[in-house]
Amino acid sequence: MVRALDGVNLTVETGEFVAVVGQSGSGKSTLLHMLGGLDQPTSGYVVVEGHELNGMSDEQLTIFRRRNIGFVFQNYNLVPILNVYENIVLPIELDGNTIDTDFVSEIVNTLGLDGKRGNFPNELSGGQQQRVAIARALATKPSILLADEPTGNLDSKTSQDVLGVLKLTSTQFHQTIIMITHNEQIAQLADRIIHIEDGKMIREGCGRR
Amino acid sequence: MVLAMTICLAALCCVLSVFLSWRYIQKTYAAIDTIFDSILAQKAGLSFETELDSRLSKLTHKAIKIVQMNSADVVQLGQEKQTIQSLLSDMSHQMKTPLSSISMYIDLLLEGNLSSGEQREFFTRIKAGTEKLGWLMDSLIKMSRLEVGAIELAPVPAGIKQTISDSISMVLAAAAKKNISIQAEPFMDTPLLHDRKWTVEAMANVLENAVKYSEANSKICISVEALPLYTKINFTDHGVGIAPEEWNSIFKRFYRGKNVKMTDGAGLGLYLASLILEKQGGYILVDSEPNKDTTFSMFLQNCKK
Repeated sequence: MVRALDGVNLTVETGEFVAVVGQSGSGKSTLLHMLGGLDQPTSGYVVVEGHELNGMSDEQLTIFRRRNIGFVFQNYNLVPILNVYENIVLPIELDGNTIDTDFVSEIVNTLGLDGKRGNFPNELSGGQQQRVAIARALATKPSILLADEPTGNLDSKTSQDVLGVLKLTSTQFHQTIIMITHNEQIAQLADRIIHIEDGKMIREGCGRR
Repeated sequence: MVLAMTICLAALCCVLSVFLSWRYIQKTYAAIDTIFDSILAQKAGLSFETELDSRLSKLTHKAIKIVQMNSADVVQLGQEKQTIQSLLSDMSHQMKTPLSSISMYIDLLLEGNLSSGEQREFFTRIKAGTEKLGWLMDSLIKMSRLEVGAIELAPVPAGIKQTISDSISMVLAAAAKKNISIQAEPFMDTPLLHDRKWTVEAMANVLENAVKYSEANSKICISVEALPLYTKINFTDHGVGIAPEEWNSIFKRFYRGKNVKMTDGAGLGLYLASLILEKQGGYILVDSEPNKDTTFSMFLQNCKK
């Protein structure tokens, strides 16, 4: 049996920006999937804002994710037939909530998407698409924003742009962010950096503060 | 007969539905009451299922969020208090060393029996000490203002060229002393969202380091690159450099690089620079190959079109 993760013990404070750094195959994506309720651990437990994820049914997990977790993936995962604004408010509508238009406008503005509201994903550059994905993840005011290699498909310049936006998000909206990356330079802006190797946390470096 | 029965049945149905509605309303009010009670008691653990597709579950979820936001505020206040406390203790610690050396030299001078050469030497050291204290005071005041949020930065659209040249002029004398040239690659002047006074401060801190940790007769390069949301301003020097393990630490308050312990400094410049950038929605990154080159990149927000 392969242990994707072994003896990982991690606590993240509200409002913290944590970077998890490791090579591919180190178990960092598994860690993120467990935090987001996409995978269940064979032993141990995951607690998010008082919700214990072990033992939840698939349906409960779906609702938990919808209300508590914002996901940002490497390949954006935008809905191609919806425009930028519709993509952003989609998760709010899915949970049957009314849209807080002021808040959504603030996000759209912060992420520099004001002029792109009506555009479709295929009309946007990679960096812009990723910013839409971040806006969508923020729109539901999630407890945690989980970002899996958010700059994996972007060139280094655009990566720095998207990274800046993530940092801005964490300070402006006091958003808890856990970001996975293999790039040390990208990890620099996090409050805390966790190095993971062969499923084990090998080093926990503090970030800037 | 049939009519009478129908009327009876209809009446029964009415009574039943009124009774059921009444029970439902009672139950819902009781549930809402419980939710409010737990908000008042600041308890995040509510007995209702939160992961259900029901109105009550949604309400519970929102109530829990309110409680958590409140407690997060309390934690944040506590942290701010702690920041101020550690700032105070750091400050007094930093002041102690130059102060005690000054008083030692003054004692020696008061005792007399010194050659005029020695006297001169001690006076120079006292002068250096007071200069350091003055400089330290200056930085500490700036830092405490930024840290405690006593002053808000006012980022407004302003041309970046002027800001960069203002910051260069602040280190020109120090650079000239070591015959270091500061060169900026040609770039288009663009308006960027920034607070000029403080940004000049941040840039000057980075440039001061570049001058301080570079060999005489070397070169410092400045370049400007536009990204979609930010504009990146690079400051490259060919000095001692910073090992990757230290990339995060150098921005911490009072942190001194391992390879520069012998050089004078307090470990405040980069800390202040990153604080200033962050306060106006920008950020700073470092990239360095020790003994080859070091680039500090400042990212300032472009003006929204």
